[in-house]
Amino acid sequence: MAIDTRVILICSGKGGVGKTTLTANLGISLARQGFTTAVLDADFGLRNLDLLLGLENRIVYTAQEVLEEECRLDQALVKHKQESNLSLLPAGNPRMLDWLKPDDMKRIVDMLKEQFNYVLIDCPAGVEDGFKNAMAATQEAIVVTNPEVSAVRDADRVIGLLNTNSIKPVQLVLNRVRPKMMANQEMLSIDDVTDILALPLLGLVLEDEQVIVSTNRGEPLTLNSVNSPAAKCYLNIAKRLQGEDIPLIDPAEEISGFGAKFRRLMQTKIF
Amino acid sequence: MNSKNQKIIINIEGRNYPNWKIDLKNKLKTLKSNNLEIDAKNIDLSCKEISEIIEIANQFDCKIICFCSSSPKTIVSSQSLGYKSQFIIESSSKNTSDEHKKNLTFSKTHFHQGTVRSGEYLESPGDLLILGDVNPGAKVSAEGNIFIWGRLLGIAHAGSKGNSKAKISALQLSPVQLRIAKKVARGPKEKPQLGLAEQARIDSEEIIISPLETT
Ligand SMILES: Nc1ncnc2c1ncn2[C@@H]1O[C@H](COP(=O)(O)OP(=O)(O)OP(=O)(O)O)[C@@H](O)[C@H]1O
Ligand SMILES: [Mg+2]
Repeated sequence: MAIDTRVILICSGKGGVGKTTLTANLGISLARQGFTTAVLDADFGLRNLDLLLGLENRIVYTAQEVLEEECRLDQALVKHKQESNLSLLPAGNPRMLDWLKPDDMKRIVDMLKEQFNYVLIDCPAGVEDGFKNAMAATQEAIVVTNPEVSAVRDADRVIGLLNTNSIKPVQLVLNRVRPKMMANQEMLSIDDVTDILALPLLGLVLEDEQVIVSTNRGEPLTLNSVNSPAAKCYLNIAKRLQGEDIPLIDPAEEISGFGAKFRRLMQTKIF
Repeated sequence: MNSKNQKIIINIEGRNYPNWKIDLKNKLKTLKSNNLEIDAKNIDLSCKEISEIIEIANQFDCKIICFCSSSPKTIVSSQSLGYKSQFIIESSSKNTSDEHKKNLTFSKTHFHQGTVRSGEYLESPGDLLILGDVNPGAKVSAEGNIFIWGRLLGIAHAGSKGNSKAKISALQLSPVQLRIAKKVARGPKEKPQLGLAEQARIDSEEIIISPLETT
């Protein structure tokens, strides 16, 4: 055990709120900042972290073979093509769900801890065994939610479970923020969400079509499209995770195209 | 304890003791320090009574920095007026006047600190005091009264074994559903006024919500 590894569970309760997208983009961002980072796909039932990272075709072994001692850890790890600091440990086949125990997850994570600065665990939706196994192996957590009543309710449930298992810190990422809808009060506001969940807000991620484009290409936004609105949000989240003090975006300011363009102009170095 | 602060004990056996204000004034007269901690023992004090205490203290140039009590009602009242308060869990071995003992067996207060989150369920065989919010999707239940030093946004059931005198108080009452004894009510549609503690109780067969002060 050489390095002080941070093991972070990325979870939500409700499905489809953006856990896997956050895991992939955070993985790329941290790797780019120079940290050796492993992303672990703990969603054995519906694995797709490999797809988002564009690594599907390079998988030979998975966490399953590592646990069954049919291969070594480094044989199963898939290194990212462009960001060599980033590696994926793929999920085994869905039948793993039948026998996997919390201790198995701990074993896998302990192995990863020996080599990496960061271990990010992409958690399955729900609060059943998949979540409980993943939680057993983690120290801290990021809860992802959307500004919707049902997503917030499920996030609250998950936070309760994380608290009773002494996971800390637990931080919040609010994904798919639409400034216009928020301004028109058609969507829960940031205050509505943080009031209920009572967690420190690690960041907001704006709704961004580019996310979908990048998903289909297997290239996380933070890899090549760093100027897209969501990519900036992901980069800021990675920096805040390091303790950098970066102010949150104000959705109200993102509304007028002019305002946004104007600010971008101001940020460009002219001299 | 900080030597600058003094602890004053309001020594009244029950709320009907008529001279408690005089008693308090006499105590304040003899004091040199002007930072006070009021220890209200197990006495229930309403917001109105606490305001009166604060006023009396002001007359003697004293500043109250904290209320201590083993009565959840006193804690909630002082908190809603913006005063720091400390909940004291009574130990039954001390202060063994018979009357006191009887009170103790009657109120088995359970105490919970922190937010009660969706899916969580708290239960008490006596009163229930919560320092934190009760979130949507959470449920709290007590055979006696429920005091929430925070917002009630989930479901609360007071008098769960049929005590229709049980009450539910909170700094903000916007529950999904309220139950007292066998009565069920849906939460009010409009958002309540902020900054006023509220109380729900049964009045002529109906659950009504009113500001805590009037009781
Ligand atoms: N900020 C965003 N803007 C637009 N679309 C987004 C955003 N974040 C996520 N999405 C889209 O939402 C869908 C679900 O995202 P993702 O797969 O990351 O969620 P998940 O929480 O991992 O889902 P599951 O619970 O099924 O594992 C994807 O199609 C993704 O492209
Ligand atoms: Mg996913």
